[in-house]
Amino acid sequence: MTVTAAPPAPVPVPPAARTGRARHRAVTFALLAPAGLTVLALVLVPLVLVVRNSFALPDAYGGIEGGFTFANYTELFDPVYLKVFGYSLGMAALNTAVCLLLGYLVSYYLAGRSPQRQGLLLLLIIVPFWTDFLVRTFAWINLLSPGGPVNGLTDALGITHGPAQWIPSQGASFVGLVYAFLPTAIFPIYATLRGVDPSLGEAARDLGCGWWRVHTRVLLPLVRPGLLAAALLTFIPTLGVFVIPVLLGGGKNQLVGNLIVTLYTEFRNQPMGAAASVVLLVLMIASVAVLGTAARRLRRRTS
Amino acid sequence: MSRTTVSRTLLATSVLTVTALLATACGGSGSTTAASSGGGKNLHVYAWAGEIPDSVVKGFEKETGIKVTVDTFDSNETMTAKLSTGASGYDLVEPSQYTVQQLIGQQLIQPLDHSKIEGLDNLAAKFRDPSYDKGNKYSVPWIWGTTGFAYNDTCIKSATSWKTLFDSAHKGKLYMLDNMLAAYIAGLQVTGHRATSTDKDQIAEATAALVKQKKILAGYNSTNYPQLLSSGQACAAEAWSGTAMAKVVQSNKNVHYVIPSEGGSIWTDGLAIPKGAKNVTSAYAFITYLLRPEVAAKATDDGSSASANQAARAHIKDKDALKNPAIYASDAAIAKADFLLDPGTAMQYFQQGWTKVKAS
Repeated sequence: MTVTAAPPAPVPVPPAARTGRARHRAVTFALLAPAGLTVLALVLVPLVLVVRNSFALPDAYGGIEGGFTFANYTELFDPVYLKVFGYSLGMAALNTAVCLLLGYLVSYYLAGRSPQRQGLLLLLIIVPFWTDFLVRTFAWINLLSPGGPVNGLTDALGITHGPAQWIPSQGASFVGLVYAFLPTAIFPIYATLRGVDPSLGEAARDLGCGWWRVHTRVLLPLVRPGLLAAALLTFIPTLGVFVIPVLLGGGKNQLVGNLIVTLYTEFRNQPMGAAASVVLLVLMIASVAVLGTAARRLRRRTS
Repeated sequence: MSRTTVSRTLLATSVLTVTALLATACGGSGSTTAASSGGGKNLHVYAWAGEIPDSVVKGFEKETGIKVTVDTFDSNETMTAKLSTGASGYDLVEPSQYTVQQLIGQQLIQPLDHSKIEGLDNLAAKFRDPSYDKGNKYSVPWIWGTTGFAYNDTCIKSATSWKTLFDSAHKGKLYMLDNMLAAYIAGLQVTGHRATSTDKDQIAEATAALVKQKKILAGYNSTNYPQLLSSGQACAAEAWSGTAMAKVVQSNKNVHYVIPSEGGSIWTDGLAIPKGAKNVTSAYAFITYLLRPEVAAKATDDGSSASANQAARAHIKDKDALKNPAIYASDAAIAKADFLLDPGTAMQYFQQGWTKVKAS
């Protein structure tokens, strides 16, 4: 065989293309790296630490000593702590229900306006977000205080007579919760409701459905995905709230969020605080799973 | 300051936020770096918000040429957390008394070399050789205050005892501080025990009293209770002495601050040098400067706080402050007051008890 005759054997992928694909992969990786590293450093690493700490023994000063124990979890099953978890779940459920109801009504109203008006109204819902959450909660203290604007209004309407002691109370705390989460409930419901052909409602009305049945039989089933998303966005964050019960509720009824903060700071028991955080996380994941399954079942039925 | 509540932190945060909203040109939060030529020497101080007046920092910089950076915190836990990372970069910190104990235990602060400090004799007798830090080995008290209660005489004629806060006659008009340690001062003392108790049964008794009390409380509040007292929304409230309370006592003749006859408690925030501090010489210079009577007087004149410096009293210009019980409680009033100490392993009894109170 002569060496000269043989041209270089054709390779399936030319070297240039191969490096090109490798470079492409490298670029993809480089582009993903910042986001990936951020998630790794700011989400996964802290999460792993919290889970690890929840099984650790506390040292005499409340720090993490190391070791391995289930005590932090078994102690959380004390009725005292279970009550806090139960109360939080109840409050979150109630808050979600009220936010969904109000959110649906507001969305329905919004979707029925002219496009320009819709934009303006949506802006009005968003504007409060530009102010810090704490400042808005403090504003409620002033609004609800005896002789405050709300009290003045109810006095003028003859509902109350003189200064009313509304704050601090569980009621005020609940108003604060609804206020905080209503906008997050409105947006997903509004988004799905806007995609519903208005003629469907009109058709139902023409065919003799009353207001109630137009909503329950026609519109509500159609916006169910939006309602599920809204429920998720309301229920889960409510479980983690701790500011509102302190400022508006007079600190008399704790949510899990309050318990975790107290465990970490005043109680100087970081391992148990970590355990409570993990339990909360599990509760959140469970609720996502439940609502997710509901959504999947819904999709299967509609498709 | 044995005041470490979420709500306090929140208040501070919200105040910061409001300030930031109003004045966008506001500098780095909680950090005052005075522009000083300096001699290349620096000092990094980590102190309670508002407890080391700017005038004091400026005076020290002018005199020594050392550039001082003051960062502030509003809970002992925040400060401890920063120190425990090991490389906080601070040369001087200002822990409260029970935190001094913890920092010693965690080996985060170093013993003081008394030969490098002048003026320790200026301290008031009760702050020399205190129970939490024998011989001032690790800390030099700077500010002190009390935990007691305040009442509005338009609805309660006069009050001297913690029992006022447990009296169902004032149902719905009573507030307690939203802080475990503070609540247990009242709970333990009203049931006839010392606030420093670490006894399981005594703490259980206090817990029972606090659970019962919760039904007649309007709420727990450590943020705006001075205002609630002033407006009459609160008849009586457990209270910390200091700027906020002092202002209300001064401006509203109906509001009175009382150290309860059962004892009440005192707290103090002192200066300590963290392990691994880089500018130790500057730190000692600053401690010595703060111990000067005329400098310590500024804590009262410019900061509305009580100075631990006895000799400073003669230099205080605001004579009303010396008579205001919400700043300077009289010696007679605090004769029986307890220094709140680190509960150590008894912490678990307080933890379970307080959770029970809050969840009841």
